[in-house]
Amino acid sequence: MPETRLPEQFRDLEQWMAWSLETEGERSDHRQASAMEDITAFYEAMLARMDEVLPYLEQFNLEELPDDARHLFYLTLSLAEVAPAVEQFGQPSVVDGYDIKRFVATHR
Amino acid sequence: MSATPNGTLANGNGSAGGYKWHNKYPHLGTGPVPADVFTSQEQFELERERIFKKVWLNVGRVERIPNPGDYFVQDLAVCNTSVIVVRGKDGAVRAFHNMCSHRGNKIAWDQGGTCQNFTCKFHGWSYGLDGRLKFVPDEESFFDLKKETLGMTPVAVDVWEGFIFVNVDPNPTETLPEYLGDLATGLKGYPFGEFSTTSTSWTSEVNANWKVIKDAFQEVYHIAFLHKRSIPDSFTSKNNPYAHSLDVTLYPRHGSMSLFGSADYKPSPVAKLAAQHGEIVIRSDFSMDGLPAGVNPLRSEAWSLDLNVIFPAFFVDVSQGSYFTHQFMPIGVDKTLWTSTQYYTQATTPGRRFSQEYGNVMFRDIIMEDGRTFEETQSVLSSGAKKEFYLHDEEILIRHSHHVIDKMLKGQPVDAAFAANGKEAASHA
Repeated sequence: MPETRLPEQFRDLEQWMAWSLETEGERSDHRQASAMEDITAFYEAMLARMDEVLPYLEQFNLEELPDDARHLFYLTLSLAEVAPAVEQFGQPSVVDGYDIKRFVATHR
Repeated sequence: MSATPNGTLANGNGSAGGYKWHNKYPHLGTGPVPADVFTSQEQFELERERIFKKVWLNVGRVERIPNPGDYFVQDLAVCNTSVIVVRGKDGAVRAFHNMCSHRGNKIAWDQGGTCQNFTCKFHGWSYGLDGRLKFVPDEESFFDLKKETLGMTPVAVDVWEGFIFVNVDPNPTETLPEYLGDLATGLKGYPFGEFSTTSTSWTSEVNANWKVIKDAFQEVYHIAFLHKRSIPDSFTSKNNPYAHSLDVTLYPRHGSMSLFGSADYKPSPVAKLAAQHGEIVIRSDFSMDGLPAGVNPLRSEAWSLDLNVIFPAFFVDVSQGSYFTHQFMPIGVDKTLWTSTQYYTQATTPGRRFSQEYGNVMFRDIIMEDGRTFEETQSVLSSGAKKEFYLHDEEILIRHSHHVIDKMLKGQPVDAAFAANGKEAASHA
């Protein structure tokens, strides 16, 4: 089985492949289960490359992303997932929030 | 709720205009809300019989059943029933009580799908998409069975802007357009269909009275406090530190509130990226071209979004480029099914989808802050320590909502309470 890779110019981000997750539920679970220092390190690494990542992804139609670009795209969705943890809450979960495990996503 | 004398204007409320919303709708008074309306089983049973079994309730959108044979099931515990909503071979949307005519078994046990017939799992009685009883196994052994009278029991159903509503009253006293009234008129032309090609939805069974949850979403006085981390500067500003709303319109039962949005809002790094690729709620470059009259009714430059509270418990909150809904379906006096849904135009590019995901996550995390209050509040409501609660002028949608509920439970008419311009009718005084 071939190893999951990112497009060549983004291989430095391959250390974050654990965040390449397809659904919101998976990304949310991973955020809640991660230590804040790991979340922050992922956030900073991604944010530093987004000016290149988004234009790269924008050359493809959403439904026609090649495998390596699709994994890079999932990393951007995980950046969206962790953004409030870093930018608003300073912790993985919503401060004084409702139990997110009981707030069940009925979409993918 | 007992009638109380109007408050004196001498004290003011800190805003330049004094009691702005009270002055617009003085007949609602200024009195407190009794605490027991959130905990009384007797009150809940009256709400069931006189409100939920009598009015139009949203059960979903048409995008969920695009083709003939597509159906979904909506359990309506508060109406003591479950409803099947199905698109027929003729393209019409129909609704039926989800109950077999034989011995009452629930026909569809799933949440939805596509089918040619509805067949009861108990004894195999089979119904067409139009509700007609088509087949009874071993029919010859029944006695005088009149199949033509034994279809699934229909439920009144109608569609407004793609939103499917049902009314379990066998003889509804008003049509859906009559029920929605001027609120629907004001939203006519908002691109609900275009914005509903994709959606994200969450649901949770909350141990709280439906009004505890509803009330939390129909005021913005809490924003500066409960949401101080998530949205510290979006809905408040130096000149409007308490998120005073731009406008309020009350209808006989429904209510709308147009919300302030701050031009001083400083987007975070990821919010900035998201804004470059799609729609976010707070933005400075929105266009008022093509907005229906009922959206941002004051045509304010400092607008963020409008709350539209469709009685009893369905919110259609619209902004520029997207909208979201909340629905609070009671299960019991202290148990409610909470559903929130964010709607978007289907993204075709990765950048737009990233932008939507950010909006999605922020929306979810913000309402997680709201959500924490529901059970914390309910958990102490039954203590009896507080007999009543006090409402701020900006909490007028709550005041109005309790006023309408009180009238309906007493069997008093609510329709005559306002003229179309929101002024109190003379007969009410």
